[in-house]
Amino acid sequence: MKSIHLAIAAGLLAAATPALAQDNVLRLRMNGDINTVDPISTTNYTIRNSSYLIYDVLFALDENFEVQPQMAEGVEISDDGLTYTITLRDGLKFHDGSDVTAEDAVASLKRWGKADGLGKIMFSKLASIEATDDKTLVITMAEPWAQVLPAIGKISSNIPVIMPKRLAEQDPSDPVKEPIGSGPYKMVVDEWVPGSIAVYEAFEDYKPRSEPASMAAGGKQTHFDRVEIINIPDTATAVDALLVGEIDWMEEVPGDMLPLFEGQDEAQAVPALQSGNSMQLVVNHLNPPFDNPKIRHALQLALEQEPFMQAINGDNTDLYKICGAVFFCDTPFASDVNTDRVLKRDAEAAKALLDEAGYDGTPVTLLHVTDIASHDAAYSVLKPMLEEAGFVVEEQITDWATVATRRASKEPVANGGWNVFFTGWGYIDQINPMTNVYVAGACENGWFGWACSQELQDLREKFAVTADPAEQKKLATRMQEVTHDLVPYVPVGQIFPSQGLASNLQGYIDSPVPFFWNVSRGE
Amino acid sequence: MILYVVGRLLAAVPTLLIVAIFIFGLVHIAPGDPAILIAGDNANPEQVDKIRERLHLDRSLPVQFGIWFGNAVTGDLGTSVYSGRPVTELIAQRVEPTFLLALYTIVLTVIIAVPLGTIAAWKANGWLDRAIMGFSVAGFSVPVFATSYLLIYVFAVELRWFPVQGYKALSKGPVETLVSLTLPSIALALVFAALIARVTRAAVLDVIHENFVRTLKAKGMGTRRILVTHVLKTAGVPIVTVIGIGLAALIGGVVVTESVFNIPGIGRLTVDAIVRRDYPVVQGIILFFSLTLIAVNLVVDLSYALFDPRVRG
Repeated sequence: MKSIHLAIAAGLLAAATPALAQDNVLRLRMNGDINTVDPISTTNYTIRNSSYLIYDVLFALDENFEVQPQMAEGVEISDDGLTYTITLRDGLKFHDGSDVTAEDAVASLKRWGKADGLGKIMFSKLASIEATDDKTLVITMAEPWAQVLPAIGKISSNIPVIMPKRLAEQDPSDPVKEPIGSGPYKMVVDEWVPGSIAVYEAFEDYKPRSEPASMAAGGKQTHFDRVEIINIPDTATAVDALLVGEIDWMEEVPGDMLPLFEGQDEAQAVPALQSGNSMQLVVNHLNPPFDNPKIRHALQLALEQEPFMQAINGDNTDLYKICGAVFFCDTPFASDVNTDRVLKRDAEAAKALLDEAGYDGTPVTLLHVTDIASHDAAYSVLKPMLEEAGFVVEEQITDWATVATRRASKEPVANGGWNVFFTGWGYIDQINPMTNVYVAGACENGWFGWACSQELQDLREKFAVTADPAEQKKLATRMQEVTHDLVPYVPVGQIFPSQGLASNLQGYIDSPVPFFWNVSRGE
Repeated sequence: MILYVVGRLLAAVPTLLIVAIFIFGLVHIAPGDPAILIAGDNANPEQVDKIRERLHLDRSLPVQFGIWFGNAVTGDLGTSVYSGRPVTELIAQRVEPTFLLALYTIVLTVIIAVPLGTIAAWKANGWLDRAIMGFSVAGFSVPVFATSYLLIYVFAVELRWFPVQGYKALSKGPVETLVSLTLPSIALALVFAALIARVTRAAVLDVIHENFVRTLKAKGMGTRRILVTHVLKTAGVPIVTVIGIGLAALIGGVVVTESVFNIPGIGRLTVDAIVRRDYPVVQGIILFFSLTLIAVNLVVDLSYALFDPRVRG
């Protein structure tokens, strides 16, 4: 009996050399899980990231944030700026073996145009979009609109991916079930376990462009036979797995786990400057007390960013930046204008303003989300700050799923509505006045909060037709001024997450969206 | 005997029905709309409405229940709201890791706990008993995630004997599977061993003072033989009951361990489904749990016959 036990133990130990990532497989841990293969049916960033493996796009941004052809060979723009004639590259193939045709591209763009915010604006200004032959598609605008290429070259959700026409004809609210793209990796559907793992194999018929990779543009060279996106739910476990070489990359290492990387050879934590995120307190303009502009101003005066950032990032002061700019700090449209309103806390002034506005003590209901650590920390800081400035606060403990549902409600708080909630937006969505949801001013047709401003709507229209950078900058600056007066949200800071990267990986592209071509395993 | 089994199975039907209605109601009472969660952050209300329609979430609750129940009877548990995959497929993918983890843990538990409990009873109130019961209280009190992180740190990060996380399917070779399940099984076994050692001690103590034991001692039989062949067999009923309850708990209730070690089991599927308001999956899993529980209880009841001849009649 004893000898059997020993034999089993010895056998286990002998076999127990962990599977080190020395094989030609790239193992990734993203922040979320792969639950769908359709990046048009959702704006979820994890789906966006994984979709870049499966699908390819007509145009994409390079590292200078300029639009470059990807599947397109090139584009000709008519002199009046209304007609775009796009030709496809030779030899493009879908994963089901069929050729990519202009018909597929037209159907895919149409579907994207029903779902994506910028896509919808583009299609509302469009006269026609059609395939004139197998390799040529022609987009004709009804009026001049300078955002056509930036729109179909956008690199964040929803990305205008190209899929076969038979799939692209499906309504965008009904997710496509078959992952058929023409991208560098092909999904292995049989090995997909939602909630656990998604597997991709290099697509042998993929023809990368000849230019070197530059962010989303250029040649997508695949150096791995296989990519696995592993959903490791526990972050501490994911860090351990990275440190022993079981995975190669993790999207975000929380600040409190950064010390684990000190003195480690196997992996490093690298600040992902381009993947910056900003956090906001979104304000509902339909419900009291924040239907009153003065009380919204008092809310701005009641808050400041540092305590929120400290609560979320602890002592890691290099992980965040105090920033009142609507389009992120250190970006083309960054500005200081009107930021005093959101950067300087003055509880006394807030109280005085509340008195002046005749604040009647209507409670601000906080739906305190506890299942997302950064949100949990932020709500804990928010409550005392509001109370100190004279607001009456009613706190309810809840989870993100509940808030994500309630925020869509335009009802009074008592009937399932809301006052404020925290959320975050990525750098790439916020720096662009066409995609930043807070400068839309679109009233009840807009994003949650329903801030209303005709001036903001007009500014965006003007922005969309000009290609002059100086004019764009002027319009963006004015947008910021109006936005901070309107208070669709209060910014609470800009956060730069650290990514975990195996030391033996080379050629990883620093970008707002993580890409997994070009990267290879060195020694 | 067959009549007994059939009767037990039939008795389970109303239980299942009540559980199904109860769970269906409970899941739908919880606030949170799956359509909004699926649509993503910048979806407009119209998109959300379309998704709701597609998932039949716009129908009344009794109608939704009717649709679900009608399909469930034919073995179709619907498709996941979250991933669009059939619920039966999602559960089937998770059954292997969960059952193997439960089995491995129970084997480890029995190997550790039954001898310890028996020894503790035999040396009742001595230092060995105290030591074993002390270990048992500790095993029960230390949270399983703490033990898990400790095991990972020592055996995976420092010694590198076992992987930190992940599950290797049986199809890739049973040895790899065993290796990938060793640390999580040890973490769980420490908790269950504590429980079962205590129950074993109590059960053995009850029997050890019986007259037949004294007779066996008087006849000069060895202690080991008395304990193993006679005492344990007589004390078996409560021990097997607790092991059965443990097995059932292991199949559904090891979310923390599954999360820490990244084992894609049913427990995690359950919690993920609840967080995402994935109604069909939650309902499917509860149905699956109920069936499993009934099956385990049946096996436990039948195994009493091994220990207690009175049950056989």
